[in-house]
Amino acid sequence: MNERQVHRYVQRFLDAMDCTVLEKSPAHFKVKLSPAADRALTNRPYYWSFVDRTGAEPETMSMLLVTDRTKFDAAEAAAEAQKQAQQQQPKPNSDDPLSSAAEAALARSFGFVHGEVNAIRMPREELHFGSRRLDQLFDASQAGGSYVYLFQEPERKHLLPYDSTPYTAWLGVNMKVEFASDRKREELYSFGVSLASGQCVERFHDRLLDLKMTPKLPPNVHITKNGLSLGKALSTIEQTIERKLKNQDYSWAAQARERLDEELARIRNYYEPLIAAAIVENIPAITEQYEKRQAEIRWQYEPRVTATAINCGIFHLAGID
Amino acid sequence: MLQPNQPTNPSRSEPAARGKLHPLVEWQFDRSWFDELQARLNRNGPWDNWQLYQLAVEAEQAKQVTSFDELRCLRCLPTLEPMPHQLSTASKVLHEMGGRAILADEVGLGKTIEAGLVLKEYMVRGLVKRALILVPASLVLQWVRELNQKFGISAVAQKKEHTWQYDVVVASMDTAKREPHREKLLAQDYDMLIIDEAHKLKNKKTTNYQFVNQMSKKYCLLLTATPVQNDLDELYNLITLLKPGQLGGQSEFAANFVVDKRLPKNEDQLQEALSGVMIRNRRGDGGIHFTKRIVRNIPLALSPEEKALYDGVTAFVKERVVETIADMASMLSLVTLQREVCSSRDAVFVTLVNLFKKTAEDSPLRAKIWGLVENIRAITSNTKAEKAMELIREIDDKVIIFTEYRATQEYLLNYFRDNGLYAVPYRGGMNRGKKDWMMDLFRGRAQVLIATEAGGEGINLQFCHHMINFDLPWNPMRVEQRIGRVHRLGQQHDVRIYNLCTLGTIEEHIVSLLHEKINLFELVIGELDHILERFEKQELTIEQQIARLVAEAGDSSELQRRISGLGDSLNRIRTEVQSDSTLEEEDALGNLLDAVGQTISMEASQ
Repeated sequence: MNERQVHRYVQRFLDAMDCTVLEKSPAHFKVKLSPAADRALTNRPYYWSFVDRTGAEPETMSMLLVTDRTKFDAAEAAAEAQKQAQQQQPKPNSDDPLSSAAEAALARSFGFVHGEVNAIRMPREELHFGSRRLDQLFDASQAGGSYVYLFQEPERKHLLPYDSTPYTAWLGVNMKVEFASDRKREELYSFGVSLASGQCVERFHDRLLDLKMTPKLPPNVHITKNGLSLGKALSTIEQTIERKLKNQDYSWAAQARERLDEELARIRNYYEPLIAAAIVENIPAITEQYEKRQAEIRWQYEPRVTATAINCGIFHLAGID
Repeated sequence: MLQPNQPTNPSRSEPAARGKLHPLVEWQFDRSWFDELQARLNRNGPWDNWQLYQLAVEAEQAKQVTSFDELRCLRCLPTLEPMPHQLSTASKVLHEMGGRAILADEVGLGKTIEAGLVLKEYMVRGLVKRALILVPASLVLQWVRELNQKFGISAVAQKKEHTWQYDVVVASMDTAKREPHREKLLAQDYDMLIIDEAHKLKNKKTTNYQFVNQMSKKYCLLLTATPVQNDLDELYNLITLLKPGQLGGQSEFAANFVVDKRLPKNEDQLQEALSGVMIRNRRGDGGIHFTKRIVRNIPLALSPEEKALYDGVTAFVKERVVETIADMASMLSLVTLQREVCSSRDAVFVTLVNLFKKTAEDSPLRAKIWGLVENIRAITSNTKAEKAMELIREIDDKVIIFTEYRATQEYLLNYFRDNGLYAVPYRGGMNRGKKDWMMDLFRGRAQVLIATEAGGEGINLQFCHHMINFDLPWNPMRVEQRIGRVHRLGQQHDVRIYNLCTLGTIEEHIVSLLHEKINLFELVIGELDHILERFEKQELTIEQQIARLVAEAGDSSELQRRISGLGDSLNRIRTEVQSDSTLEEEDALGNLLDAVGQTISMEASQ
């Protein structure tokens, strides 16, 4: 993710969480968090449990989110320089008796107000890719976007009031597949299974992105009866992904297995003579250590593939598929 | 919803579909998401936000580890600029060594950075979640700070019992190996274990060694600049800890690779075996481009009162040496008196008072000692302190002052405070929190740091490039350590070193020995080690030899002649070292290690 992508991501996150953006530029946001965002980001469990128990009006935090440090700092420095330049020039109307009288009057009614003390505390957060704050945004997205139940919004108005469009329910899931030994890489998959017909579609998420989705059942829509149980849909997904993965190149796994065997042979050459030469009392301890080392090596090198879900949902899409 | 993949150990995971994708590959399909989805369907919600759903997918796409080989962590660390050898080391550990290695770079080449890179890479890839870092107590906070600031890794210093439950913990080895901690740690599986100053694990019989051996770990890094010092067995033990069998069994190793404890055989084979587990980067001989050291000696004439005290103490020392057939220890402590006068009256006062208390009440010595104390009363100002003050004002930048004596340190703190200079102390006895706090003050508002201790790896003062030696240690290594605090990798400026030197005292001789004779201040880093090692092979340490000269010399000119002789012999050794650094026999161990690593030129870093 480059700075621009991070910026866009943050913008959309703030929108989705209903935060109030106070000020923004292509390099930063000043934002007052919504209660939901505050709970997710500020790590104040005691405060929030206080609010929950007493029903007090929550006071959420404000933050300065910097998405492009270089640009932001440059802009700040420029603003600072400008301010100083202005201060050096005598204010044109400072001699103006009227305005100074007005200022004095204001000071009398409000007292001296120090601008900086009075400003809202606004901690600065760097949001570059890999920063902890951005990771926290990622985690919050995950936490608040795991299970959905959505309907496609109809594209056009129906002409007849009693006309009804048939919708099909889909089970959709985004999956992360990890290919790991002592090293690792990942692939992402997205599957959708029609609960009407049982057909399985790949890149399902992309298809959803082209549609407008809503959590409410739109008018003049009826849902086709499911011909397939959810459990059946799940096994369809499992079979599909297994079939796809079986056709992959597994030379990496062969190499990892080779390393694994080498390592096992290496410690065997070390421990077996050691056990053979040991006095009887010591044998259990050495054997235990040997087994531990073996377990570690398997843990380190054993090639494995795991699929976990990123998120999933039931999607009702127009048409009978 | 991704399983918070708590243990990356696959043997303990959620109920899921399992099987084989390939004869060699375990396959596991997680179903927990499906159960949760069904539960929510049955309860009719709650349902999550569609925008966040999309953002969650985008986050995963951004984080996706697309290939086995690249160093992904670099994208996450825009402010870190590792040097080429650090990058190549990290990727070698990751891609060729399976994450178990000894990082044996010479001091100052950034082993911490290399270890941090490896750790971060594994974390970014999701291969390491729980990591334990064991270091000497004095380095705990520094590691925590570096991991947090440079690598964005939320590492925690172990303080309380419950700290162990954090994912990345930095603790001192001494704490970790003690109950009740020990038992807790041995019950854990650590995805990664890093041990700094790992040469403390060289001996198989120590609790350190056994503790680390018993720990359960997946990846493991051992950091040490001296993987072998005296005995090839040390190396064997260290490697066996990491990868048992890499060098065969103990007897096999002895038969195949050892002639004598300092002399290996079958070097080629041994080197090959070593290079599978160890990486050692060295400074290139011509390639080092450290900034310059600019040394200035500042000669000072003592005030008449100070001179009187110095002469009094000198006479006293001479007498005592003649009277007692002095053994080495008492000779050293006597000569110390002389050195202390050169530093400050406060320093010598404390020692004299202690000496007074120790002497029998009826001893004629008491009166003499008391006479000296009277001399001290006459002194009202400290010539050196005044000069130091003047220098600091002139420098008008951060300055670190080193002194050997606690009393001098106290005196200077007061003196500077009275004169409106903000100085903070640093000494060995401080606990780690306080040391850290002093460093932070010095980094921030304080202009001057007054330190009595230069040892204790871990004070890095690259932001400061002026140092004053208020007095000089007699052991050249200690002087080198002092300089090493500021003159190290990352120092952007030439380092200016000021030696305060009182004329007509032993100090003058020492400065001339260290500076003019052996040219200590401009030696190539590391060279001094070799010279001293050989020199001290003879019998006494250099400190003891100087003390003996000082105590035994009749007058100043004789002393000068003899110190000059000492300088000559050091110089002779130096030429020897330089000429035989190619000679194989003597330095077989060094050559062995050198062959494992690469020599790097540091030009790129400047």
